[in-house]
Amino acid sequence: MGAMQKEVVSFKGVDKIYNTGTVALSQLDLSIHEGEFISFLGPSGCGKSTALRMVAGLGEATKGKVEVFGQNPKELIRNSNDIAYVFQDSNLLPWRTVLDNVVLPLELRGSNKNTRKEIAMRVLEMVGLKDYLKSYPRQLSGGMKMRVSIARALAAKPKLLLMDEPFAALDEMTRQSLQMDLLDIWKKERTTILFVTHNVYEAVYLSSQIAVMSARPGRLSSLIDVDLPYPRDRVTSTFTEYVDLASQSLEYSLNRKELG
Amino acid sequence: MTSQTATTNRSELVVESREMDEKKFRGKVKGTVFGPIIALVIFLSLWQSIPIVFDMKPFILPKPTDVLQAAIDDWHLLWPAIQVTVTESVIGFIISAIVGIWISILLASSRILEVSLYPYAVILQTIPVVAIAPIIVIWFGSGFNSIVIISFLIGFFPVVSNTLMGLNSVDENMGDLFSLYNASKWQTMWKLRIPAAMPYMMSGLKISCTLAIVGAITGEFIAGIGGGRGGLGYAITVAAVQLKTPYLFACAIAGAIFGIGFYLLVSLVSRFMLKSWHESSMKVEK
Ligand SMILES: Nc1ncnc2c1ncn2[C@@H]1O[C@H](COP(=O)(O)OP(=O)(O)OP(=O)(O)O)[C@@H](O)[C@H]1O
Ligand SMILES: [Mg+2]
Repeated sequence: MGAMQKEVVSFKGVDKIYNTGTVALSQLDLSIHEGEFISFLGPSGCGKSTALRMVAGLGEATKGKVEVFGQNPKELIRNSNDIAYVFQDSNLLPWRTVLDNVVLPLELRGSNKNTRKEIAMRVLEMVGLKDYLKSYPRQLSGGMKMRVSIARALAAKPKLLLMDEPFAALDEMTRQSLQMDLLDIWKKERTTILFVTHNVYEAVYLSSQIAVMSARPGRLSSLIDVDLPYPRDRVTSTFTEYVDLASQSLEYSLNRKELG
Repeated sequence: MTSQTATTNRSELVVESREMDEKKFRGKVKGTVFGPIIALVIFLSLWQSIPIVFDMKPFILPKPTDVLQAAIDDWHLLWPAIQVTVTESVIGFIISAIVGIWISILLASSRILEVSLYPYAVILQTIPVVAIAPIIVIWFGSGFNSIVIISFLIGFFPVVSNTLMGLNSVDENMGDLFSLYNASKWQTMWKLRIPAAMPYMMSGLKISCTLAIVGAITGEFIAGIGGGRGGLGYAITVAAVQLKTPYLFACAIAGAIFGIGFYLLVSLVSRFMLKSWHESSMKVEK
């Protein structure tokens, strides 16, 4: 991605200390540009979710500043649908059908009923679920629920898509097919994606950039640009090199913590 | 007994056929119905034989057949009494459901209201209704109105405590989802908190429907007959004074049967309401 791309998300010297005293993030500086697919990779508890929640305006920095499209995220979500969030579990409302779940963001923003349905149908088609409009979440498999959740996030036409370990609970096959779907959507819609994962392979397969984070207090330990063309092949040697590089950075960040 | 399999591009979904569920369900019903019936038969035969064996007078312990006979002989008294009690407790229940749910929503919509008022609701609940019933009779006169109010007071609290618990038990991630889309307080209430509270609300209603009957019968003990027609509670006090023990038993059993019926009805409605809604009511599958 060129240097001229617009900045979408910026962390400037961000600290996050929870009122339990846990220092979740410390001195996080990061600038994310339009059209990037950036993965946050790091050990459990290093503040990945915390960072994502702050971008979505669901939590506030203790020190420093988080900006999205040059604005305070809390302000931004008050006035626009620019940000969507895919939660770790699909987080669907069990009393609503697939269609009604997908329509929810539009409904809350008070958009017209017919446009709502039109948009919902389009995104459900995109994730291959348009035959399940009337199903309830409990009637769907884990992978299908996750796709509904992604469709719901896309329904509001976000410019920024935040995904917190969306595929963590899925089996390998489902995960791989959803990864392909996600890359398709990313290419088509040109959204900026922030993606949290534990999985090095997943990070290398998906992202244009990988932000490796170190454990408590969470900070950015390295930023890797993944210069591989899409669609990526998991068995090429360059792919493996990137996997090794990311694993080493991850290990380094872990060791540093043990030493310090 | 077909089991359909629907396949999408990549994932699979197995839709268990409804027929199969129904068969399983029926099997379960058979098991759960037979046991209690056998127990009931044994209980009734013991009850029938004890007064005979020990040569007890019917006014001390009537046999089931005596009770049945009394119910048939005095049906012209029993039936109106049942109708009165049913009317009182159903109205009391409906009022406690409506008022209880609205008060819960009101309390849940404001943290300050909830914190300042809920303790008093709890305290009110600990005051035995029998103790305040005479005051209610003084205020509202003896008879129907007071009895309905007593029934309402007893049934009201379980609705409030359950509904309130449900309204406050919303999943954090779902709450975040609603904040992310800038949902207003009332949107969050109607589209998230109330639907999420439904199972709690329904279990509150199930508790309160049987309590409403207890309330009505207790109310009749105290607030008596006013205006002419007395309910089961009144009939029981009269029967006790006259030592018409078999009829007293008939009244009590009629009350119990109504209680069971009312409970089943409310459970059925609750099942229906939650059917499309929640996993919790679908535990039959698995
Ligand atoms: N609401 C909270 N209150 C107090 N501490 C919290 C809260 N949320 C998170 N933490 C703490 O902050 C730290 C970072 O949490 P966070 O959820 O951001 O980690 P994570 O990197 O997403 O971990 P994981 O990969 O396990 O999801 C953890 O130590 C966690 O215990
Ligand atoms: Mg997390």
